Amino acid sequence: MKTITIDPITRLEGHGKINIFLNGQGDVENAYLQIPELRGFERFAQGRRAEDMPQITSRICGVCPVAHHFAATKALDAAFNVDPPSAAKKLRELMYSGYYIYDHILHFYFLGGPDFVVGPDAPAAKRNVLGVIEKAGVEIGKEVIKHRAYGQKITAILGGKATHPVCGLPGGVSKGLNKDEVKEIETMTKSCIDFAKFSLQLFNDIVLKNKDYVDLILSDPYQLKTYNMGLVDKNNKVNFYDGKIRVTDQQGKEKVKFDVKDYTKYVAEHVEEWTYIKFPYLKSVGWKGFKDGKDSGIYRVGPLGRLNAAEGMATPLADKEYKKMFETLGGKAVNSTLAFHWARLIELLYATERAMELIKDPEITSTKIRNPVGEPGEGIGVTEAARGTLIHHYKLDKKGLIDKANLIVATTNNSGAINMSIRDAAIGIIKKGKVNDGLLNMVEMAFRAYDPCFACATHTLPGGMPLEVNIYDHNKKLYKKLRQNL
Amino acid sequence: MKTIVLGVGNQILGDDGVGIHVVNELKKQIKDPNITLDNAVTGGMNLLELLLGYDKAIIIDAVKTNDGKSGDVKRIPLSNFSTMHSCNPHDVSLIEAIEIAKKMGEDKIPKEIIVIGILMKEIPCEFGEKLSEKISSAVPKAIDMTLKEINNKIKNST
Repeated sequence: MKTITIDPITRLEGHGKINIFLNGQGDVENAYLQIPELRGFERFAQGRRAEDMPQITSRICGVCPVAHHFAATKALDAAFNVDPPSAAKKLRELMYSGYYIYDHILHFYFLGGPDFVVGPDAPAAKRNVLGVIEKAGVEIGKEVIKHRAYGQKITAILGGKATHPVCGLPGGVSKGLNKDEVKEIETMTKSCIDFAKFSLQLFNDIVLKNKDYVDLILSDPYQLKTYNMGLVDKNNKVNFYDGKIRVTDQQGKEKVKFDVKDYTKYVAEHVEEWTYIKFPYLKSVGWKGFKDGKDSGIYRVGPLGRLNAAEGMATPLADKEYKKMFETLGGKAVNSTLAFHWARLIELLYATERAMELIKDPEITSTKIRNPVGEPGEGIGVTEAARGTLIHHYKLDKKGLIDKANLIVATTNNSGAINMSIRDAAIGIIKKGKVNDGLLNMVEMAFRAYDPCFACATHTLPGGMPLEVNIYDHNKKLYKKLRQNL
Repeated sequence: MKTIVLGVGNQILGDDGVGIHVVNELKKQIKDPNITLDNAVTGGMNLLELLLGYDKAIIIDAVKTNDGKSGDVKRIPLSNFSTMHSCNPHDVSLIEAIEIAKKMGEDKIPKEIIVIGILMKEIPCEFGEKLSEKISSAVPKAIDMTLKEINNKIKNST
């Protein structure tokens, strides 16, 4: 049996590794993504003051501090049995919109987008943000940088510090907005709406008008008919900050809708021996291995999961784009993994429109931003991280210290689907042991769409190639080594 | 000359946070208004934004190595890294961020960026606030090297 190893994964750094196993004919037999996961959180959290959790967990990830911060804060709302004032909820959601603005811009233009904007077959050295800027122009590049920074600025104004928000408290937030801040956020948000519209236009012109790309999006190796999961508001529209968890089936019909406090009734976790990562699945359907279809409990989260799990967007422009995506790609549900990128841009537009609604709301300058907390108990909080549904679950003792803590992060929710996407892309693309850089990138595209979170830092000394491919013969002896500079 | 000394890493991942431990010690020793001391749990574009406007940047960080000895401290010009990032798989590397910024005409990038790297075989994946014995004993050396680096004149541009 031959083994192809892609290590480390380009652009999505961390020490993730893809192992592709070939059979005697050189065709793909199986593929696995191995990613390191942070361990020991429960023990680390035990005995700490519960109100420190929003700050501590915001340090888990340098990109998603806001998602962890508010999943933790919402778990504490529940644990202390307190409902924050409406103004506090709006401030939290506004900050959350800022996080989506910078995160989705970063992903589309810097990480996932290069595959489309520059092209999947383009030389590796061009398939990065600099290649995007070269193709779209330096002026566009400046707009990208500017609006990413605006998203950061919005979260920093509301959160105290963009990288470690300190505003979330059980029962509310610690800081409101003054009139100058409102004006500043409004100006930035207005510009962000235009930039989001521009980004969708760019996607339309470069991707949708190119038949090859649309065919690629709709091609077999990139289809995965799983269930979909995401938070929805009372009208079943996408919401990032709050709502019920809705799961829809392969045709977009509602399978189940529940409060996060009941998640253990609906979701269970499967364990495999080759990885620390767990594989959540729908309890009522069951774990049937790495299979898609209605008999397998695997589901997807993240931009495409959310759009599939909802019935539209709550803001007018984004809702129009939502309808366009489903019309273009053949109705519900859209099962194409590469459509994650399109969904991400629709969500970017929604985040900007929602931010505008919130900043124009007269209540946003209210000083009633915190309610008194009750007795400590148990609480579960959920938010939609940019990468998908994120759950924090804490059990507090009588003194308000953490007794038990558990997190289910977005990438864990997607882990079953990510493995299948890699395998299917590899099966469709690698035949008879024929492997080259372009082909490997197609495999990488399958999981890059999910923007998976690789735990912890990786610091690499000079040297070392960002992409290494090892091909082994039947006896697992290395007979070919491909390396590329990215 | 304006200098920023930045501890990079994650304080809740044990040895990964060594840079922050070093900067916290330096804060007790340095009271020069031209020298900014700060910490960052971030990489790429955000990290670059923190460096803009300074003449010189000294980044103190854990560096994973296969060849070196755990606990060694090395002075490494940023240009020696092919890839460098911290706690942040979704962002571009600092080197890429600098390339992008230069292309956009950014003129506030420090003339010199030096990494004071504390070498280790593995960056921990387990939550914890304490440094291991080996890495803890490297902290005084990293402090000395940083103090020396602060006094070094800028030799070459990044």
